[in-house]
Amino acid sequence: MGHNVLLVDDSSTMRKIVGRSLRQAGLEFDNIYEAADGLLALEVLEKESVDIVLSDINMPNMDGISFLREKANRAHMKEIPVFMISTETGDDIINEAKALGAVGAIKKPFTADMVSEILGPFLHK
Amino acid sequence: MIISDKIIETTIEIFTTMVMMEVSADGPLLVKSGTLCDTITGMIGLAGTHKGVLAIHIPHYVALAITSSFLGMDVEEINDDVRDAVGELANMLGGNIKNILSENGRDIELSLPSTVAGHEYDFSATTDVDLFILPFKTSAGNFMVELQLEK
Repeated sequence: MGHNVLLVDDSSTMRKIVGRSLRQAGLEFDNIYEAADGLLALEVLEKESVDIVLSDINMPNMDGISFLREKANRAHMKEIPVFMISTETGDDIINEAKALGAVGAIKKPFTADMVSEILGPFLHK
Repeated sequence: MIISDKIIETTIEIFTTMVMMEVSADGPLLVKSGTLCDTITGMIGLAGTHKGVLAIHIPHYVALAITSSFLGMDVEEINDDVRDAVGELANMLGGNIKNILSENGRDIELSLPSTVAGHEYDFSATTDVDLFILPFKTSAGNFMVELQLEK
């Protein structure tokens, strides 16, 4: 059975690249939703059934950390797992993201193999 | 490792893994980027313990080839896809350079990336900065990566 994934990044290029990497990694998704910032991501989570979120950190309007904080305050979506995909992979910011519920991080630049290695075990649980 | 070597290493890694394009350094550091003609520049600001700008200057025809390879589709004019792709290259370069300048990227903040494109313009700092301008070559043409750091 496939999953529904939400890609959150202000760069449309990066959303396309992440989507392509998921397909190259052989990960099955029924629907790939997209959002350009944290605010729009929350709107998608209010309307759609999403199994996993892949989110950038450095974004306009609502960044990835604020998105995690807001999501954690909404009981109906707080359990949806979030992986951060960002150049911002220093210990401090990743620890902050994990404290707010992020379950992992993928560093840009990345390959399809890296995406598969990190997300595969999680999706095949 | 000195900063210029790290910029080369990071640029090659980004192009190899994300853009799917082979790239190599094309000679020693340049003294200035000069007048940029029919070029698009992606840039991102650094603030905190290190202040400055990271920029990538790409001639239009090279930017079209890079964006086409990045997105896996033909791009024939400088449009939103090209601006977004060049901005994202600046973002990835800036994020990785940040982690080089400061342990774990601590104490440095990045701005959001932006781009400028035009037929003829100069890109120069208005304050005293350390300049690292590195030329690169690809099969589609050449481009430069420039880091300006406040002294």
